[in-house]
Amino acid sequence: MNRWSKRPSGASVLAGVFLLLVAAVILYPVLMAVLGSFKTNAELNGGGSFWPARWQFANYSQAWKGANFARFSWNSLFVSVAATVGTLIVASMAAYAADRRDFPGKRLAIAVQASTMFISIGAVVLKPQFDLMVAIGLHRTLWGVVLILIAGHAGTYFMLASFMRAIPRDLDEAAMIDGSGFFRTFRSVILPLLKPGLGVAGLFVFRSAWNEYILPSVFTMTNPKLQTLTVGLANLRYGVSAAMQTDLMLAGACISLLPLLLVYLLANKSFVQVTAGSVKG
Amino acid sequence: MHRTRIKLEAVAFTLPSLLLTLVLGIYPIFWAIRYMFYEYAGYGTPKFVGLYNFERLYRDERFWNAVTNTLVYAGGKLLVTLPLSLLLAVLLNRRMRGAGLFKTIFFMPTVLSASVMSIVFYVIFNSYNGMLNQLLQQIGLSRGVEWLGANYAMLTMILIAIWGAVGNYMLLFLAGLQGIPRDIYESASIDGARPAQQFFYITIPMLGPVLQMVMLLAITVSLKGYESIMVLTQGGPFGKTDVMFLYVYKMFFSVASTTAEVQQYGYGSAVGFAAALLIGAVTLIYFYASKKLNSLY
Repeated sequence: MNRWSKRPSGASVLAGVFLLLVAAVILYPVLMAVLGSFKTNAELNGGGSFWPARWQFANYSQAWKGANFARFSWNSLFVSVAATVGTLIVASMAAYAADRRDFPGKRLAIAVQASTMFISIGAVVLKPQFDLMVAIGLHRTLWGVVLILIAGHAGTYFMLASFMRAIPRDLDEAAMIDGSGFFRTFRSVILPLLKPGLGVAGLFVFRSAWNEYILPSVFTMTNPKLQTLTVGLANLRYGVSAAMQTDLMLAGACISLLPLLLVYLLANKSFVQVTAGSVKG
Repeated sequence: MHRTRIKLEAVAFTLPSLLLTLVLGIYPIFWAIRYMFYEYAGYGTPKFVGLYNFERLYRDERFWNAVTNTLVYAGGKLLVTLPLSLLLAVLLNRRMRGAGLFKTIFFMPTVLSASVMSIVFYVIFNSYNGMLNQLLQQIGLSRGVEWLGANYAMLTMILIAIWGAVGNYMLLFLAGLQGIPRDIYESASIDGARPAQQFFYITIPMLGPVLQMVMLLAITVSLKGYESIMVLTQGGPFGKTDVMFLYVYKMFFSVASTTAEVQQYGYGSAVGFAAALLIGAVTLIYFYASKKLNSLY
């Protein structure tokens, strides 16, 4: 029974129209970006049609080669994959130890994790973080960005801990009795059972690493070769050429948006299931 | 013997996580606390100035402008986002065809990069030949609005923030709504309660705890955000969209195309700390107010 089943006409139609309207507004910028990326610059500046007059697939090859998006994409992929793998390893290990064992300093370790999620001094942290990377010589590579991203694993840690709690203790206790050690139990009992949790958490880490803008932009200020998609694209706006190449900008935007959009559509269920753990905006 | 070994192994498993958090998460906070009392431009020796940075903060019009802007930005965003996302959640919580598709569409902005979407929004909103102005002209509604000009830039930033956030809160609200048993609505409608009455007398009170939690998160997240503003306007024009943490950012790293300012690590730390305190204060006020609201029910 639904609440309005007695009067399906008026209210329901109104609700439907409203939902469609909101959906149109949400889709508008994405649609404009995708369609615009196939138009010529003149067409974009002159206004006019909704659909491109002639589909300019060349925009993509030009962005890919001319505006260096091949390199940006590789950098983005590297940062995102490395950060995701690293975060999952570090967070799952810590969550395993905290959930299954007692050890000195355990409460402190958990408290430290929790506190980093609540204290925020914003952009200030970037400076000491950058200095630390300079000190160990990682400021000229993307590994510095990766390391800082992995360090922000508190959210993943708590998410994995809650998944871990749902795995029956009997399973790993049995393995321990059968003689498999701490590490082997983790690797061959816990990790396989944690797969769904790792998948969802990995999706989230990958998304935020792929979308990260401020951190890579700080690290690549003097080293444009390391720019990720988000940074390279934003820098197109301040390009030296007098006329802004809107067509290339939109093609670049699509190159950086489409992979995530595809992953989202494919993994929609998992994305939508565990959002409560990560409030973005 | 065996037991100690396992304890050691558990500690070893925690170490990478703990070390990274301490070094890259906690240390920067203490770094900032130390430099609040120094004047330091990044070279030479830092000069101890005591509480001078806070005196300066008190007189700093740009900081207070940024505080006002932050409150307007967060307030404007939440004032629309929260009711709208709640409304969407309530509408989609009914059994209806296409609910899944709508959810997918509404949540999509949350997945997309804020900075990349800001570039797309620049193409849409820019005053000279933006897509939106072209559209408005074509249907004869307006001759062009300066969306990123001094009068409208903040409004545009708020609109973009709403676009990016609505789907996220809708989903959180939906999760909360699913916890309310449907029988309550059924018996209420048998008793003759209309949808609006059901919303105010059942949905809102039953959703209370979720609503409070989500609002708390929403407030802190919105006060902290500056990424899309940084990409789109860098705080301009004339500081109209300068928000607290963007102001802090500019103290540490000058932004391309704006005039490079002298870096001020000490003062920047003080501003960052003040901003964090302000966010803490707003959170506390909210906490107190929502407790008060609780006793009203």
